[in-house]
Amino acid sequence: MSAALRTAVSGPAFRAALRPQVSLGLSAQRLLHTSIPAKQAEPTPSFSHSPTEPMTILAHKNSNQYSLETPQNKGEYVMTTLDKIANWARQSSMWPVTFGLACCAVEMMHMAAARYDQDRLGIIFRASPRQSEIMIVAGTLTNKMAPALRRVYDQMPEPRWVVSMGSCANGGGYYHYSYSVVRGCDRVVPVDIYVPGCPPTAEALLYGMLQLQRKMRRTRKAMLWYRR
Amino acid sequence: MVSLWRTIRSARRVGLKEWWRQMQYIGDAKSGTYIGIDQFGNRYFENRNSEEEVPGRQRWVDLAQHEYHASQVPPEWHSWLQHIRKDSPDNDKVMQASTPPWKVEWTETLTGTRGAYKSYNTAAPKMYSWQPKSIPRQ
Repeated sequence: MSAALRTAVSGPAFRAALRPQVSLGLSAQRLLHTSIPAKQAEPTPSFSHSPTEPMTILAHKNSNQYSLETPQNKGEYVMTTLDKIANWARQSSMWPVTFGLACCAVEMMHMAAARYDQDRLGIIFRASPRQSEIMIVAGTLTNKMAPALRRVYDQMPEPRWVVSMGSCANGGGYYHYSYSVVRGCDRVVPVDIYVPGCPPTAEALLYGMLQLQRKMRRTRKAMLWYRR
Repeated sequence: MVSLWRTIRSARRVGLKEWWRQMQYIGDAKSGTYIGIDQFGNRYFENRNSEEEVPGRQRWVDLAQHEYHASQVPPEWHSWLQHIRKDSPDNDKVMQASTPPWKVEWTETLTGTRGAYKSYNTAAPKMYSWQPKSIPRQ
């Protein structure tokens, strides 16, 4: 009995069972990986130092807007060019209607004054909503003023944009819990740019206007019409 | 201030190509000493000659991107540009010593792209916590 066990333990079959099965394991792995692995989407980097591929471009990749800005044929090329001409004309003559309601209006006046000089960007305040395309809601919008704001907005010709300036216009701000204040002018009109601050500096408002220029530059209305 | 003589003088100093770029992006013919370049490729200049530059225009930046705006200047160079620090970040020992190693990389404002900042908001679960579902009549 013991002799039989000894031959079994030291026999060739037992040694083969103990041997590490390297070749079999490798071939099994190779079988698993013969097909090309599915292409994984590369994670978007959190920053970029390249001036030709900045972070704004990287964040833009594979979006609908990127598709709109990339012409596929000659017709689309014409359309993007028309869009760019229209955008250039719009962004270089932004005429806001002044809707000064509170202390933010003073900062809005500073933007018009000599130091920040909005005229160099083609921004001219108009007194009539019929001649303007942007409305700067500067200050606390009260319930009593809200119908007037909406009426002024409705009188503006298309295309029109709204800049909400300051905490009160953004979301009620200091007067959020007041019984007589609209909690943000976006409850009455659609807002394009929110400028934070209480009140925002003239510099901040001017930066907001530059952001609005960026937004205008992204418009691709003719392209959308052509692709439809 | 802008004058014909100043424009000709600057164009002679910096060269026609650089002058054309300045007229496209800065809108003024400027000439001065090159101070440095940041990680984004923006170049910084200074001209402290009071005969040539009025106060407030002595330091300026030539932004690398075509779609330029103010937030492309990183904070270290911003503090030099706005005269908060006297020396440029390359020569500022105090700034280099007080820069923490865990500081994240500067990115420009991503407003209007898909990387735009979205604030913390708890309104959605409050608005959609209860969706009334009616069983159709038999």
